[in-house]
Amino acid sequence: MDSILECRNLTKYFPGCLALNSVNLSIPRGRIVGLLGPNGSGKTTLIKLANGLLTPNGGEVLIEGRKPGVETKKIVSYLPERTYLNDWMSVQGIIDFFGDFYADFRKEKAYDMLGRLHINPRDRLKTMSKGTKEKVQLILVMSREAELYVLDEPIGGVDPAARDYILDTILGNYSENATLVISTHLITDVEKILDDVIFINMGNIVLTSTVDDIREKEKKSVDALFREVFKC
Amino acid sequence: MLGNLIKYEIRATRRIFLPLYGLILVFALVNKIFISANYDEFGGSVPFTVAMTIYVLLIAALFVMTLVVLIQRFQKNLLGDEGYLSFTLPVKTHMHLDAKTIVTVMWTVLSLIVAALSIFLLAVDANTLQQMREGWPSFLRAYEPFGASFYGVLAEVIILALFSIAEVTLHIYLSIAVGNFSSRHKLLAAFGVFLGVSVVEQVVTSLLMNAGVRASIFSDFFVGFGSMRYGWDASAPVLAGFLGVQIAYTLVFGALFYFFTDWILSRKLNLE
Repeated sequence: MDSILECRNLTKYFPGCLALNSVNLSIPRGRIVGLLGPNGSGKTTLIKLANGLLTPNGGEVLIEGRKPGVETKKIVSYLPERTYLNDWMSVQGIIDFFGDFYADFRKEKAYDMLGRLHINPRDRLKTMSKGTKEKVQLILVMSREAELYVLDEPIGGVDPAARDYILDTILGNYSENATLVISTHLITDVEKILDDVIFINMGNIVLTSTVDDIREKEKKSVDALFREVFKC
Repeated sequence: MLGNLIKYEIRATRRIFLPLYGLILVFALVNKIFISANYDEFGGSVPFTVAMTIYVLLIAALFVMTLVVLIQRFQKNLLGDEGYLSFTLPVKTHMHLDAKTIVTVMWTVLSLIVAALSIFLLAVDANTLQQMREGWPSFLRAYEPFGASFYGVLAEVIILALFSIAEVTLHIYLSIAVGNFSSRHKLLAAFGVFLGVSVVEQVVTSLLMNAGVRASIFSDFFVGFGSMRYGWDASAPVLAGFLGVQIAYTLVFGALFYFFTDWILSRKLNLE
């Protein structure tokens, strides 16, 4: 089967909380998928499991049929929801770092995007604002020619004006055959680029659908459907 | 990939160690100038006292920093936010451990060398240099009769020192990795684990020693050691054997710490 990411009875609990409740999921290649859910619904947990940053309590998550490991990390480009940049490198330094470790990293791409966002490659990461750091991280992640991009809240900390540019960056830089998983609760901003959506709530997959189906059958926008499904 | 990890580990840590090394050597020289300029006049003077105090504090800082950097690099770079990048690099988990242990041993050895060098700078003058130049051949001659076995023992001492540094480093890594399971008080838990493992290590050591004494394994050693005064030739093999056992012992504990830490990081990882 030609799925790039697959979860089989994936279960994860933290002390006093069930974060993922036996999730089954299959994401095909070449799609842009929105992983949508309210805060604390299990989006980040699912993504961290796929990247091997958490160990499942049950079931498994497979990338191209393999458990997270060296081989999957070569083909997955991951943007976490937090800043993972150290405070002692310059932008140039971190670009060299990515270039040294990821065979699919394209430095020209990174420098090109930095230029367009007016970020000086010689600036130290330490002196940057949170939003600028997020932009640098996104540039690093999108400068890889990966097969699966997993972006956890890619636009959460960025001002609305830069959001469109970032979405364009995301769209403009991923290769045809690649898959994009974007987790967010800012649905209106990303809705226009999504092919499929996965609604997740309290560790359960509530709905998986293509965006076209939602528009045709429900006659609703994804945002409207989301508000309905997750009504408090 | 290991080479890359080591390269960036050195880059991340050298900005702390290199300036410290520079400062220590500079202050050793400053103190040297005070001493050689005119000891009587400067001996009790305020600038000299200040310079000397700074030098001593810098040496203390060097060894404290070696420990702090060792802990911080593991905690922040692997188990903190930076771990999100470290653990998504396409490298085997044990390579992080390898790189960090190697670089820690490297800085510890360099710190010891710099400290020794600074004391040498402080103490040396034209007279001692002259004496050393003259004394060196006779120093070598003095060890000549010991022959190859002397260098064998020397090599063992150096290997034991390096392994011991690595073993203590891995002991601390294991403690931090286990302490990380605690949802609160991670450092306190790590400290508890460190002490607990130390106690276990001590108990195992003394049990083995007791068993050894009871089985008279050591009698040869003590007899041999006693014969030290009768000559190197008789005691060198015994000393070499004893050091060999020590090395093996350190290796076994180091390997246990290494594999257990690697197991936690690759099988039980849960980054916050």
